[in-house]
Amino acid sequence: MQLTINGETREVADNSSALLLWVLRDELGLTGTKFGCGAGICGACTVHVDGVATRSCLLPVSAVAGKTIRTIEGLATAGADGVRTLHPVQQAFIDVQTPQCGWCMSGQIMTAAAFLESVPAPSQTEIVNAMDNNYCRCGCYVRILAAVTKAAAEGLNAKTPSGQVAKKMQVAA
Amino acid sequence: MSDLPITQSPITQSPITPPPPKRRWRITRRGFLIGSGIGVAGLALGITVGTPYARLKIAEMLASGQGQPGSFPVDPFAWFEVLPDSRVRLFLTKVEMGQGVHTALAQIAAEDLGVALSDLEIVQASTSQGPADGNGTSGSSSVATVYQPLRQAAATLHQMLRAEAARVLGVPADALSVAERAFVVTAAPEQRVEFGALVAEQKNWEVPEEGAPLKPDSEFTLIGQPLARVDIPAKVTGEAVYGYDIKLPGMLYGAVARPPTLAARLTAAQPGAAATMPGVHQVVIENDFAGVVATSRAEAHAAVDALELTWDEGKLWQQAELEEIITVGNGNGITIQRAGDAPALLEANPALIQAEYRSPFAVQASLEPQAALVDVQLDRVRIWVSTQMQARVRSLVAETLGVDEAIVEVTPTYLGGGFGRKTGFEVAVEAARLSKAAGVPVHVGWTRTEEMRYGYFRPPTHHQLAAVLDANGQISAIEHRQASGDVAFGFFPTWLATVMGADFGSYRGAQIHYAIPNRHTIAWRHELPVRTGWWRGLGLLANTFAVESFIDELAHAAGIDPLQFRLNHLPDDTAGQRMRAVLQAAAEKAGWGTPLPEGRARGIACCTDVGTVVAEVAEVSLDAATNRIRVHQVTAAMDCGLTINPDGARAQIEGNIMWGVGSTLIEEMRIKDGQVDINNFDTYPLLTMRDAPHVETILLEAGDGRPRGVGEPPIGPVAAAIGNALFALTGKRLRQLPMTPERVAAA
Repeated sequence: MQLTINGETREVADNSSALLLWVLRDELGLTGTKFGCGAGICGACTVHVDGVATRSCLLPVSAVAGKTIRTIEGLATAGADGVRTLHPVQQAFIDVQTPQCGWCMSGQIMTAAAFLESVPAPSQTEIVNAMDNNYCRCGCYVRILAAVTKAAAEGLNAKTPSGQVAKKMQVAA
Repeated sequence: MSDLPITQSPITQSPITPPPPKRRWRITRRGFLIGSGIGVAGLALGITVGTPYARLKIAEMLASGQGQPGSFPVDPFAWFEVLPDSRVRLFLTKVEMGQGVHTALAQIAAEDLGVALSDLEIVQASTSQGPADGNGTSGSSSVATVYQPLRQAAATLHQMLRAEAARVLGVPADALSVAERAFVVTAAPEQRVEFGALVAEQKNWEVPEEGAPLKPDSEFTLIGQPLARVDIPAKVTGEAVYGYDIKLPGMLYGAVARPPTLAARLTAAQPGAAATMPGVHQVVIENDFAGVVATSRAEAHAAVDALELTWDEGKLWQQAELEEIITVGNGNGITIQRAGDAPALLEANPALIQAEYRSPFAVQASLEPQAALVDVQLDRVRIWVSTQMQARVRSLVAETLGVDEAIVEVTPTYLGGGFGRKTGFEVAVEAARLSKAAGVPVHVGWTRTEEMRYGYFRPPTHHQLAAVLDANGQISAIEHRQASGDVAFGFFPTWLATVMGADFGSYRGAQIHYAIPNRHTIAWRHELPVRTGWWRGLGLLANTFAVESFIDELAHAAGIDPLQFRLNHLPDDTAGQRMRAVLQAAAEKAGWGTPLPEGRARGIACCTDVGTVVAEVAEVSLDAATNRIRVHQVTAAMDCGLTINPDGARAQIEGNIMWGVGSTLIEEMRIKDGQVDINNFDTYPLLTMRDAPHVETILLEAGDGRPRGVGEPPIGPVAAAIGNALFALTGKRLRQLPMTPERVAAA
């Protein structure tokens, strides 16, 4: 079976009962999409299916054949020079210093990105309602709200100023 | 535009690299460690947790005539490496679980090393590279314990490099300054030598005899700055690698059978249909353990469900029985605070004011469940795991497999939340057993139901408080009698628990910090048939809820404003002055005493914990139709001493407040028919954005230059502040957590 993920065609095992989350994570190695509950409650596994924020933990992979899937790994855009530009929502999450542990953040960002595509100038209440179904156990809600508000105010096409980019944690070999 | 280079995360590459050469350390006379044996030139300088301890051991060795300082085998808990390519790497044993510890420690290290934060590479150390850090990452202790030795090591390394640069350039050491990762002659910057050039040749580095001077606090450029966290970019791109994400070539997935009840024992097990199910590679049945290794997680779980297992269910415990155990006066209480003679003054006093409080079981509920990848080979065991306690993982896996700890390598990953739960080790032990049997690397990642049911819980508590007021409205005597399930004792050997008597984890926050002439606190500990243990702040939330709600009751009984009443009882010492400052700051910012819109009220509470003082004001309303409490805003003032990263400290306050609100309004785990009566977020929901309060934070500093903990103290006052606000609004006093609509209606 073929899936279109982040603009690429990927071949996956023909297993109609396999769930998209685990195909992404364990079969294709796209571990940016996270497992939180397996019950469609927490939102950590949110991806875009044809542009719609969708919980991948309950979704049989057979249901998304022929559809366009976007994960957190495909949210930034890569230029020809190998340099990528973060999605404005990702940039806003850095600018506001939103994540703590980070486990829910892919889901938060994918939810916010799809929401702002459909509601470009949301009210505060609309943002809260849109983000209310994504758990953050670290309790970053104040900053998630601030980041989505910031991304909305600047617009999805805005080129935000460069955020502070530091080195990633490394595990030494 | 933000330009992040597209790179593979190093952590995913590490599994396929060869084992690292074992570094050896020699300890210097001043208690530092100089590393060798990495096979290249370069300089490694490390520090132990207890440099004074190391010095003591050296002194003992010298006194006894055995050994020399250079031969004393000690592993460092943090160390620098300066490499010939001028990279400076800081290896840390403390794990990053969202609390920002890597950034805070990097700020501290870079300050005295004299480099920019971006010139420092932060590396999460595996246990094979150094020590396992027996303290782990917990108890809001990392920055407070590491601060001074890390600065000393950074300053010493700076001094060593500076001296070598002075020799190479032929100028006095004080004629040099640091420019990026090089020393330059200040008056002639074209004369420079890179760090890498200084360490390019193998040489015997000596630590200077005199202590390297530390930068005066007034000259700090990094410590105290709200710098961007080093781990955040990878967390918005999906590249950050956690225990659930680790991959190795040839790996399979494991699942483990779980007991149907709290007291169940596995009495018989047969593979049954599981052995021939699709994807199954191995069925593992050993004594009390049954698990399956399969090609996918789904196949592993399906096969576990098909195992033929016989359980002796044991006693079917009910919630009411457990609450009866957790009752003040049941068994022997241990006095943990005594000033004056409160019991005598309170006994049979007609003016006695008393109240009882209760808090329930709660779950840590990290959004990343327990996860580990383990590769058991004949001569080497490698583990990647979300853990706060890599030393414990190493020793328990070694014990389970019957191998020497020295061949077990534990690499902590990023943690998708810790909150005390990831000091556990079960998942790594399970993956190790399965990997050993299957002969391939095995990943075990718990389901949400496993995470909800098979860990350990915040224990339930019961509190009896009693006090008398004098004619001036001052408390003349107060007693707090507290009963709790175990916290720390759940992890201690029985003999140690017996010697200690009272569980410091359970009674955290239980003592009365006000200046009351007669104060008495007694703690009863109880082992329960449910595992209880670490949870953010341990007993702090429950104890502060009881004590600070009761103080509020006394304030109202005395007819004195609750803020003023607290101020009236503060001791006239540094601790009292710090508490006064945070109370007044929070109250002022929250508009304490000023009118609110109809239907809203404020409540105040405070606590002292790990040397940090916090005061919080909650602003609430009550939906009359649903009896739901709404927390609109929490204003928090905290003094954690020297603040390393103010933005990180504020984030910790915000997170703690969300935890506190969730625990106050929603979170409760119950036992039913011998089993934990929750299995996912539908039966144990968490706070969501709609119910999240706005948070205002104020940071004060004690002014003594010492950092204290921030990861837990702000959780303390939340429940009491909300309950006190509800009383101010409605006259209803909620004495049991959580404050559900049913309890509000019944109050």
